[in-house]
Amino acid sequence: MAYTWLRLMQLVVILLLSCAVTPAKSQTSLLRGKITDEHERPLSGVSLHLSPAQLATQSDENGSFLFTDLPQGTYTLTASSVGYVSQYLALVVHNTSKPLRIRLKPAVQALGNVVVQADQAGFRQREESLNLEVVDRAFLQRHRGGSLMQTLERLPGVKTIGIGSGQSKPLIRGLGFNRVVVVENGVKHEGQQWGADHGLEIDQFAAEQVDILKGAASFVYGSDAIGGAIAVQPAPVPAPHMAGGSVDLIGKSNSALYGTSANLFGRGQRWFAAARATYQSYGDYRVPTDRIFVYDYAVPLRKGQLRNTAGRETGLHLHTGYVGEQFRSVFYLSQVASRSGFFANAHGLEPRRVDTDLHDASPRDILLPRQQVTHRKLINRSQYQLPGTGHRLEAELGYQHNFRQEFSPYVNHGYMPPLYPRDLAIPAELEREFDKHVYSGNLRAALALGRHALVVGLNGERQNNTINGWSFLVPAFRQQTAGGFAYDKFQLNEHTLLHGAIRYDYTHLRTNSYTDWFPSATPTSAGDLSEKLVRAQGLDRSFNSLVWSVGINYNPGRFSLKGNVGKSFRVPIAKELAANGVNYHYFSYERGNPTLNPEQSYQLDVSLGWKQEKWSVQLSPFFNYFPNYIYLNPTAEHDYYYGAGNQVFEYAQSRVRRYGGEVQLRYQLLPSLSTELLGEYLRATQLSGAKRGFTLPFSPPASAVLNLTWAPRTGVGRPSESYVGVDYRLTSQQQSIVPPERKTPGYQVLTLQAGTNLRFGQQPLLLSLQVQNALNTRYLNHTSFYRLIGLPEAGRNVILSLKIPFTMTPTIHEKN
Amino acid sequence: MKIHLLYAAVAALTCVAGCSEDEKEVIDTEYPVIAVDAADAFPKQCSTLKRGQSFTFRASLSDNVRLGSVSVDVHHNFDHHTHSTEVIECNMEPVKRPVNPFLLIKSFPIPEGLQQYQTAFELAVPADVDPGDYHFLIRLTDQEGWQTVKGLSIKIE
Repeated sequence: MAYTWLRLMQLVVILLLSCAVTPAKSQTSLLRGKITDEHERPLSGVSLHLSPAQLATQSDENGSFLFTDLPQGTYTLTASSVGYVSQYLALVVHNTSKPLRIRLKPAVQALGNVVVQADQAGFRQREESLNLEVVDRAFLQRHRGGSLMQTLERLPGVKTIGIGSGQSKPLIRGLGFNRVVVVENGVKHEGQQWGADHGLEIDQFAAEQVDILKGAASFVYGSDAIGGAIAVQPAPVPAPHMAGGSVDLIGKSNSALYGTSANLFGRGQRWFAAARATYQSYGDYRVPTDRIFVYDYAVPLRKGQLRNTAGRETGLHLHTGYVGEQFRSVFYLSQVASRSGFFANAHGLEPRRVDTDLHDASPRDILLPRQQVTHRKLINRSQYQLPGTGHRLEAELGYQHNFRQEFSPYVNHGYMPPLYPRDLAIPAELEREFDKHVYSGNLRAALALGRHALVVGLNGERQNNTINGWSFLVPAFRQQTAGGFAYDKFQLNEHTLLHGAIRYDYTHLRTNSYTDWFPSATPTSAGDLSEKLVRAQGLDRSFNSLVWSVGINYNPGRFSLKGNVGKSFRVPIAKELAANGVNYHYFSYERGNPTLNPEQSYQLDVSLGWKQEKWSVQLSPFFNYFPNYIYLNPTAEHDYYYGAGNQVFEYAQSRVRRYGGEVQLRYQLLPSLSTELLGEYLRATQLSGAKRGFTLPFSPPASAVLNLTWAPRTGVGRPSESYVGVDYRLTSQQQSIVPPERKTPGYQVLTLQAGTNLRFGQQPLLLSLQVQNALNTRYLNHTSFYRLIGLPEAGRNVILSLKIPFTMTPTIHEKN
Repeated sequence: MKIHLLYAAVAALTCVAGCSEDEKEVIDTEYPVIAVDAADAFPKQCSTLKRGQSFTFRASLSDNVRLGSVSVDVHHNFDHHTHSTEVIECNMEPVKRPVNPFLLIKSFPIPEGLQQYQTAFELAVPADVDPGDYHFLIRLTDQEGWQTVKGLSIKIE
């Protein structure tokens, strides 16, 4: 194996060198061909992608396709169609190129009737009874936000909750934090998902495709998928004997961000390797105001700069593996790290006055308070296709290490000593530290049994969490989970697919006890007693859950229907069970509840679609009921000790009803002009408990995006490469609030997008431009954590990104 | 048949959406109010407390429905770490290191079911604490959990 590796690396280096000296040619050529099945029958609707030119087309009813105006050079052609094994061809285009003949073999796992359909995302949407959105690299490039999750915010029903310009977590239909699972390379991402300041440690340049499952997906992903799941897919395995790469450059005006991401890949016959490095650096972001009020404390901002919100991010990825006909196994090694500041005036026990001269001296420095996070992953994904059958075995094994530190000047509160003791082993600026080690394993068997496609599987995970720092919020804990599921898809007839799933999970959680490092005065009948308080008692709890789901897909033609009803669950997290301390982002004192039960949810999802040549419409309502939703209830009490008189927020459970839905309308006005309307509505009501009649925190208000896109046609069979689009987002006011929220007025925001493919000789360049908040509108986002302190959203932001893809001549391989 | 089922489901959903509006309860979304502008209110912005003496904390608390609890937190501001919620700024002494700063954290229950409450809590300042700039933080909640904070800059002499 080491030898193969060496050869591969040698190949990559040689290819890189050869690429650099290849003279540029300016002549253009045609590439034509015909696609057939194994019986030489023409296949229509096969997707053909040509890289690095990033061109795509489809085969016509005779199976023929054509690319015109191609600069001469080396390309990779991918021919893919659902139900067939994708073909990759490395080829050299010159003016005497002969027509290609491509024969596609049917995929072994094809179910019953093979559905030939060009758009794979569409096919998957028709096969999935839950509401599914699939976005590809082009979407990610076009709508790129501060983080991957912010990029996804354009989708109806998807919002983010976060702090600042880079830290954000997804909110699917109003549910977020530990109610949405994020899966990367098949393994559940395990960060410190409970806090609003904890962004997801995912490099958005490394994402090729993102699947968003809206609705209760516990039966597939286990606990936490009660609100939905987001699966981030890596770049596909390169074609045999191909090498190449790309360089991305990005700049953003608002926070003066600059960044780059470069990747290289190479594949022999069966072994491949790919590497990526990403770096981004940004300054304090700017809001269209010079003064804000943090809970009535006036805070002046210099030139609208949000002091100390600068940051740096790095991402390193290495993928390598073996791709055989029956067996494939890929290792994914990655490290995503970031260092960023917290808005200095709003962190701590109370809104703070800060040394503005120090903070405003440079918009790029990262002073206290700040956070530093490193997330490392090693994942192996393997699958084995049983020869001659439709059965497949799949496995994922993963190790993750999340290491998070939050630094802040020492602030005594409660009975903490006024000056930091010199003899304390904890560094004086280390406010909090979380160290998480996670081992996970998934095993699945996908069985093709006549008209049944049955998947049975096991998931296991083991976590070890330790803490450090001079403040306390959540104790150290260990957690083990094990689950098993069976999921059957039954092809009832040509148009109807039925789904049924059942899953059982067991979770064991053990939290450590925690005792203060300083004594507090406890009043007793014999006067004040000075003792170190036990803030968290050790806790040992086990949870069991049995969940199920049934669904239907009915696709008779232009009309499509989905329906799903199911039960989902979520095991309470350590913070909900055992928190006992100040949340410095909230100015609140949070108290866990060790008696919480696993949260349960019953959800009904429906989706109705109609697709015509020129227009399509999709309506996706849902209804959801929680008999015991876990929420952080702001009480009337104040904490006398450690909380320094802060208001006590206590975890409680209540009955909750939620309903809402999304609507998507698309209309092709002219061959080159299209319009789109995406709308969403959500309503949540607590039906019992202390906040009966109130909504849930961070309930997104109704909103709609109206888009108009002009994309000129550049030739027969070639989709346009250039586009100009405008997104007009209308958000209604949010009057339904729960303490400590405030009502948020409605707003309208304009975003512009434009992009094109340029060519310098043989070298394609993909250029895209985005102007977010084009009119520099001052507005408040109800689901932003900073809404609580009245902080408006970022002002105008011009984002320019450039992608330079390249491939290298495969003929060099022979010389090697 | 399947279509009928679907229509039934959608109809049920619409009903749930529609029906919910009828049972809508009146929700309290108003914050409680802390007033220290009465003539006898104490302390006020820039007031002075004397070491070794007691004082009476007098403020007028009110809520549209029911008051919850009030908490007082007196802590030093020798490092000028924060400012008050008030418009008027007070004169500050130079930054200094705390030796034995005065610290008082006290929560006071408010009798159940009140809309108005006049505090009259006797608080003592020990004789041996550091003099200088302090903060007098009043936090008031109502029964629903809405909280109002008032931060006053005071001095201890």
